Amino acid sequence: MFDDRSPIYRQIADRIKADVLSGALKANEQVMSTNQYAAYYRINPATAAKAFQQLVDEKVLYKKRGIGMFVSTQARDMLRAQGRETFFGEVVDPMVAEARAIGIPLADVIRRIEQHEKGSA
Amino acid sequence: MKVFRHLTTTLVTFSAMVAASVFAFVVVVTFVVSAFRGVEISAWNVVTSQIARWFLLWVGVYVIHNQLPIAVAHGRTRREFLVAASGFSVVLALVMALIAWLGFAIEGGIYSLMDWRADEHGSPWAYFLMFLVWCAVGMFCAAAFDRFGASGVFWVPVGLALVVVTTAGIPGSGNLPFIRNVPVLLGSGWHALSVVAFLIALAGTWVIARDMPIRVRTT
Amino acid sequence: MRVDVQGLTVRYGDVTAIDDMSFSLSGNKIYGLLGRNGSGKTSLMSALAGYRRPIGSVQLDGEPVFENAAAMRKVCLVRHTADAADKGDKVSYVLEYGAAWRDTWDNAYALELVELFKIPLKTKVGELSLGQRSALGVVIALASRSPLTMLDESHLGMDTPTRYAFYDALLNDFMAHPRTIIISTHLIEELASLLEEVVIIDTGRLVLQEEADVLRSRGTEVTGNAADVDEFTAGLTVLSEKSLGRTKAAMVYGGLDDEQLTRARQLGLELGPIALQDLFVHLTEPVGGKR
Repeated sequence: MFDDRSPIYRQIADRIKADVLSGALKANEQVMSTNQYAAYYRINPATAAKAFQQLVDEKVLYKKRGIGMFVSTQARDMLRAQGRETFFGEVVDPMVAEARAIGIPLADVIRRIEQHEKGSA
Repeated sequence: MKVFRHLTTTLVTFSAMVAASVFAFVVVVTFVVSAFRGVEISAWNVVTSQIARWFLLWVGVYVIHNQLPIAVAHGRTRREFLVAASGFSVVLALVMALIAWLGFAIEGGIYSLMDWRADEHGSPWAYFLMFLVWCAVGMFCAAAFDRFGASGVFWVPVGLALVVVTTAGIPGSGNLPFIRNVPVLLGSGWHALSVVAFLIALAGTWVIARDMPIRVRTT
Repeated sequence: MRVDVQGLTVRYGDVTAIDDMSFSLSGNKIYGLLGRNGSGKTSLMSALAGYRRPIGSVQLDGEPVFENAAAMRKVCLVRHTADAADKGDKVSYVLEYGAAWRDTWDNAYALELVELFKIPLKTKVGELSLGQRSALGVVIALASRSPLTMLDESHLGMDTPTRYAFYDALLNDFMAHPRTIIISTHLIEELASLLEEVVIIDTGRLVLQEEADVLRSRGTEVTGNAADVDEFTAGLTVLSEKSLGRTKAAMVYGGLDDEQLTRARQLGLELGPIALQDLFVHLTEPVGGKR
């Protein structure tokens, strides 16, 4: 389930963020409890709790005492904004480098992207 | 108390059932034998004076060798267990002596009905003391072997010396090799000596097992 | 339950199994006790469980454990297979001991686990398969609900589905009844995600005690041009190195600061994490045994 090569809590936090981004987890929706997460992924509950704490610190989740964890209203917008900031550096630049390494002209890449634009329009 | 209760309910019941089955078996054998020849000896006397003490010795060994490690594995101290085992040995010896005596009473009835000759046997107290000492010596030897490994064999003579005394008050229990006429040697003090032998065996068990390591079981 | 070990030494004749070891466990976590064969795991656990008189001190919640009835009540250790079981006893009889001798024993849960692991109740312990005997050990340990529960190599002989059932049972019961659980294993990868803290010992000494997640982030694999890798790793703790042509990979132990990360990027080095199991292998490698 986990590659055991980076802290598991970070992998869990990333998964929850991905769910928020994709809309699988909606604003003000309750997320599973620490113990449910721990049992489901077969991980130590303290590790799951750490992931949740990180997400609370980042304001992706908020805590309702005695009830559980909920997705904050601004979580999706916030994560989208963060994603936009790093998108070119983390996604586009490596893609361009890869295209160059294997000899695909950038013009071809751009044409492909334009096709996507038309397709989705 | 939990340990004592468990030991007595399980092991005393088991021992009593073994004794009862042996008695039934012996009565059957006696009747079978009577078909071929006259009955001249008490079979129950052979059982109680010869075989029973080895059974008691085995129970003593079992208690220390098998039960003590289980007690510690279940969060009991050796001290708690040894207290329970000491009390258990007295209860067991009492119950077994009672069964021996009951057996003699029933057998005596059968013998007089059939007009067979029943030979003499000792007092219930003599059986009680013999069982008591043999059980304690079993615990003592098991402790020595568990603690010292093969060197435990050096403690066997001590155990042997302790059980000699118990044969004094029981006709037909036989003399040990090289030691004849134990009753004559001891005179009437064998009661007291048996109690002393029991206390020595018990004290020895305590000293050896009190801080004994619990080894990994080989499976 | 809190565990404090101070200057603990265990000797068997001339052999020293545990050598002047000291550490503390704050408790109510799942701890992994990792060490190679003969590193002293079983001896250490035996001393923690009061199975033998310690040289030095072993305290549970501040009380010495050896021959201390109050402390002993709260401990359960199952070594390898089943300590609390006689080969000649039937499984059902083994469970009766738990019910009769332990105050904290949960018999309904014990029977539930016996069913889960498909252990035949009417069979004698000596006739069970190794995997079933290991599972019986797990039943005794978990059903004891002891504030300090220790499992030594409990996976021995278990097939993969049984091991996963064991991990699930362990985790769920720990969450329902939080307590201090110490578990030793060789299958580090399988168990790693269940552990909150890791204690590594080698040749009777403590190598390290660390949160599993922290430990995982401690190790970094540095890959790149051999000369660049050598320059980067100079002065760092290198656990192992291997080369393939001009490429070299080095396992570095210890966190890297921002300056070092920048330098690595400048040199075009690839930085990757190291699995717990690899870290363990290299942290316990004998001196001179490095590749």
